[in-house]
Amino acid sequence: MDKALIALAAALAVGLPAIATAWAQSRIGSAGAGTLAEKPELTGTIIILVAIPETMVILGFVVAAMILMMF
Amino acid sequence: MIIRMAKVEIIGPKEQLMTVLALLRGRGVFQPDPALMRAGDLASGGQTHGLVLSADEIRERLFFEELRSSMRQLVDLLPELPVPSAHLHPLPVMDVLAELVEKHIEEAERLQTQLEEQRADEAALARDLVFWETLEPMLADLPEESDLEFLGVTIHDASHLEGLKQLLQERLYGQCEISVARTAEGALVGLVATSRQMADQLRSIMTDERVPELPLPEELAGLPIPERIVALRHRVIDCQAAIETCSRNLDDLARQWLPVYRQALDWLEERLALYRATATAYETRQCFVVEGWMAADEVDGLRRQLTEKFDGQVVLEQLEIMEEELDMVPVVLHNPGYFAPFEVFSRLLPLPKYTSYDPTPFIGLFFPLLFGMILGDIGYGCLLLILAVLLVKYCTGHPLVVNLGKVLGAAALYTMLFGLLFGELFGNLGEQWFGLHPLWVDRIHAIVPMIIFAISVGVAHVLFGLALGIWTDLRRHQGREALVKLLTIVLVLLGILTLVAWLVPKPWLAVRPLLISIAVILPVLVAAGGLLAPLELLKTFGNIISYVRIMAIGLCSVLLAVVANRLGGATGDVLAGLLVAGMLHAFNLLLGVFAPTVHSLRLHYVEFFSKFLDLGGRRFEPLERNGP
Repeated sequence: MDKALIALAAALAVGLPAIATAWAQSRIGSAGAGTLAEKPELTGTIIILVAIPETMVILGFVVAAMILMMF
Repeated sequence: MIIRMAKVEIIGPKEQLMTVLALLRGRGVFQPDPALMRAGDLASGGQTHGLVLSADEIRERLFFEELRSSMRQLVDLLPELPVPSAHLHPLPVMDVLAELVEKHIEEAERLQTQLEEQRADEAALARDLVFWETLEPMLADLPEESDLEFLGVTIHDASHLEGLKQLLQERLYGQCEISVARTAEGALVGLVATSRQMADQLRSIMTDERVPELPLPEELAGLPIPERIVALRHRVIDCQAAIETCSRNLDDLARQWLPVYRQALDWLEERLALYRATATAYETRQCFVVEGWMAADEVDGLRRQLTEKFDGQVVLEQLEIMEEELDMVPVVLHNPGYFAPFEVFSRLLPLPKYTSYDPTPFIGLFFPLLFGMILGDIGYGCLLLILAVLLVKYCTGHPLVVNLGKVLGAAALYTMLFGLLFGELFGNLGEQWFGLHPLWVDRIHAIVPMIIFAISVGVAHVLFGLALGIWTDLRRHQGREALVKLLTIVLVLLGILTLVAWLVPKPWLAVRPLLISIAVILPVLVAAGGLLAPLELLKTFGNIISYVRIMAIGLCSVLLAVVANRLGGATGDVLAGLLVAGMLHAFNLLLGVFAPTVHSLRLHYVEFFSKFLDLGGRRFEPLERNGP
């Protein structure tokens, strides 16, 4: 039972930030697509902007890894 | 690096201004900046004022602008032929050209109008002919003399055909026959035959039912159908001949005059650009004065050229750049050798200010390193190196691709180096086949050490950025900002030591003194940097933790490689296994190029550069031919 809860906790730690990241990227991505239609020279900047929310899921991944290893 | 710039002033007799500007445009090294004069001499109440063109010069400028407009119109009207360039100085013949250009415009417009009309006619006739030629086989079997009347129609909707047939049978009492055919383009056309007495009624029905009669020029309407087709063919041939004649006349006109007008247009553009450049000049009673910017290395060469060409009448003087002018200095980035290709990434950012740093060398140093840390695989590194060599060797016509190839080459070398340290060759394939072991750490299993390593990289990178920020602030005499950054560095180090002391207790590393130090320094930070300073400190910690992505993305990459190997092995067949593993490795390699690139750049742009880079510099835009 404990193992299952630990696994669930780890899954939530990475899953919820993943959903948040996906939502943020969808918003940034659609705005970025609109921007690129006007200014294609901003391609590089938009790619970087899309990558910014990934910090959340990466930190979630670290927390999940910690949960699995520490308990 | 950012090229060292010089602020220069060029002074000479007023009558030499245009010649001097022409020389400056030819050399393309000097950017005039009227704002410098406004900030300097004018404020001191000197006799210098903005240069005003004389009445003759204004008249000449207006004449040239009007002439340029006419010549552009003519050049647009004439066909673009590969004509040789003319060896003619246009100035002596400019008046003649001004008279001729209007006549030539008139002639070209007339020919273009004719050409367009003939082309429109030919297109319409050819379209009609398609319909009539489709009906031609139906008419071939008919007797030459008959009491029948024929009507060609276009049927837009094939589903109405049956209804139309029935309607005609009813209304024309069966004295009607309709045959349909499809043209090569897919349109449906019909030939309706009826007696001459019923012809008018047939036309009336067709009008009511909105079935259009096949189009035909009015003059051909009275002809019998076979003769119509022949006449249409003749008309198409006539149109084609007329088009050919018009085109030939236009080509002749272009061959004869285009070289002259192009030459004259180039000369006019150059002359008018010089007139525009005079707006950046100032004058005294006798002299003109132009102030601006140029690369410091070019000053002596330009000064020598001006002295030689104008016998010392035109003087170039290098002025001291005042502190308040530093933000006005335009920026040129120049990176030799290894660093030059990395400018493709630094160009994604706005230009740095003159007093800041060129981001390119930092990207050149750290980007391949971070890329290698993330991907870290000997096999992938080899493949990327081969790809980089191919790009550099075979895409010589595309400088951007060649530069990306060079960047990829550097990244691939670091990927191989870290692959060796991690003991990875296409994931765990090296270990399975060749007994390859990590020289340093097995990152699949050593997750915590890898997290510590990634954060350590972050600490080093971010603190280096803060140290550069301190140096920038000190150079700009911003002591308070420098102090805030210094305290941030100290607090970050104290925070890390506290964490280490808490996690790995050591007798020589006590938590209490560290916490006391933090408690003492934190208020100083708030006093120096305001209430937002602690938030900045937290942001710095966030920036450091963000480097964990080096471990996280790297781990994902290696796990995907391991999965590819396992799936390949699970097929039980060499060929299928190679295919499955190859496809998954190819996918992983694609991700392995994209993700490390984006995340390495992000670590630079967001975490590193935000600590010291001052963006928003002016682009250096010298006077030059084909320039503004």
